Amino acid sequence: MTLALAVSLATPAAPPVTLGRRIWRHALASTELRIGLAVLLLLLLATVFYPMLSNLDPERMNVRARLLAPAFAGAKWSWEHPLGTDEIGRDILLRCLIGLRYSLLIGVASVALMLAVGCVFGIVAGYFGRKTDMVIMRLTDAQLSIPMIILAISVLGVSRPTIPGIVLVLGLSGWPIYARVTRSVTMTERRREFVRAAQVSGASDLRIMVRLLAPIVLPPVLFISVLDIARMMIFESVLGFIGLGVQPPTPTFGNIIADGRKYLINAWWIATMPGVFLCLSLTSINLVGAALERARNAVYGGAS
Amino acid sequence: MQVLSFFIRRLLQGVLIIFLVSFLIFTLLRVVPGDPVRLMAGGMAPEALIEQIAKNMGLRDPIVVQFARYMGGVVKGDLGQSFVRPANGAAVGGAQFNDSTRGERAHVTSLILSTLPRTLQLAGVAIALALATSLVLGVAGGLHPGGWQDRLAFYIGSICVSLPNFWLGIVLILLLSVKLAWLPAIGYENFAYTILPAIVLAVEMIPFMVRTLTGSVAAIMQEPFIAVAQVRGLSRYRIVYHHALRNAAIPLLNLLGVQFSTLLGGVLVVEYIFDYPGLGQLTINAVLQRDFPLIQGIAILTSGIFVLINIVVDLAATMIDPRMEY
Repeated sequence: MTLALAVSLATPAAPPVTLGRRIWRHALASTELRIGLAVLLLLLLATVFYPMLSNLDPERMNVRARLLAPAFAGAKWSWEHPLGTDEIGRDILLRCLIGLRYSLLIGVASVALMLAVGCVFGIVAGYFGRKTDMVIMRLTDAQLSIPMIILAISVLGVSRPTIPGIVLVLGLSGWPIYARVTRSVTMTERRREFVRAAQVSGASDLRIMVRLLAPIVLPPVLFISVLDIARMMIFESVLGFIGLGVQPPTPTFGNIIADGRKYLINAWWIATMPGVFLCLSLTSINLVGAALERARNAVYGGAS
Repeated sequence: MQVLSFFIRRLLQGVLIIFLVSFLIFTLLRVVPGDPVRLMAGGMAPEALIEQIAKNMGLRDPIVVQFARYMGGVVKGDLGQSFVRPANGAAVGGAQFNDSTRGERAHVTSLILSTLPRTLQLAGVAIALALATSLVLGVAGGLHPGGWQDRLAFYIGSICVSLPNFWLGIVLILLLSVKLAWLPAIGYENFAYTILPAIVLAVEMIPFMVRTLTGSVAAIMQEPFIAVAQVRGLSRYRIVYHHALRNAAIPLLNLLGVQFSTLLGGVLVVEYIFDYPGLGQLTINAVLQRDFPLIQGIAILTSGIFVLINIVVDLAATMIDPRMEY
């Protein structure tokens, strides 16, 4: 999913069309990116196909199969539940894979939202400068100094959190960084001759921003945003853990771990297994993201 | 003289930021649904009584009026009183619906001051741990770009970023306190209770520090003055620790300023998992109980610290490297 996002968004954007591709090609040469992509692909395949192939239901309880241990790890286990079951007999592996779906979905959607909001504000601030810039930048300063998590709990703690609500909160709390980066790039680009030329020939501000500035400003930012998907996935699981994520019985990493914490001493696998999946997917996304960032720096000559 | 004008300008900007933060939080709390009076009085309280209490507390006035009244107090150093926490520290949220004696509620300032030291202790230990680890990894990686040290630093960094703090906390509790019984985990009685939460926080900071350090040390080792130092016959130890690290400290300091709110978010979660009685736990409870004055007070405090840290970081950077401008 990340791969598709990065490619589809990056390629058509850059004005010399090859820029995005050059970064991509540079990145493909690194082992980290390949390892990351391979693991990510495996996880994606598992989360798409395993729930379909297994005839289990992630929400169905089965009292006779309560607290089964993972394979080979205890006195009581069965191949039907390779990672064991929780306190009411639900299959852990299946719940983790469903949790991964929500985690990826929310991660990608919220990063897309914060990119959109941040880049719009950043380009507008950088292009118009003066008072517009001043207002937007002070707003970003203020928001950067409030920890995201405080914002998130104060909004989500009110009513039963829904997926769009969570995406909205995560997306809106992460935009300032993108606004800062795109603003600084826009500030240098808007003085260039082709922008002047467009202004003189009567192109509207909106047209200049969308057609001329956005294609230059966006690609470098897109490559950084892969790392943010991982950050948002962690954030989503933290919210789930304190009870403000997608609500049970829908399984998410956060709420499975929160449940499992109560049974930590008798059934260590409930709380630890989801974390293993989360860690695996985060590590692979981070490897891909870091490789892309290195490639971007190499292509851009180290300047942001 | 230049320092002074820099200082004053930054302080003024800081005051503006704090003002904006207070206004944002203040408005947000009141716009988002969720009536603190309902929570205070309990679900059984009649609607009329709720309205009356709310009116008495001034919660039905226009937001701008409420904000002006609140800021009036803040300027005089009065952050107000908590909605729910009694001054004697008794059980939280035990207010009856016929209890409208607001005078016995705890002052926000004293609530914050009683929890702040523990959180500072936690943050201090965590930063020390993170610095010690990242210095070893980062300097080794930076001195051998492309070598195994560099790769090791990169992989350790990548794994640490991918460890969700609450899960790591649970795993460490399971291993170190339940299975091995080496360290206490839940609550706070003595210094030992700080260690596990601090480790979790440190793991969260290490990746950023390692990455910044490897990058900057590697860049600095390419500089001409390092080559000159080698020609002058200075020992490798002296070159690395006196010349390279001194310069690499600047990006590290900047990082501290930028990462402050991430650190604070980490503190919140970690204190929640370990039931560590600090500012983070106070914040989570305040938010969940919609204790407006307490949330506002904490927001003002944290944005104040944020502003101060960033000023100090810039000042320190100019002291380390006098070429930098204010």
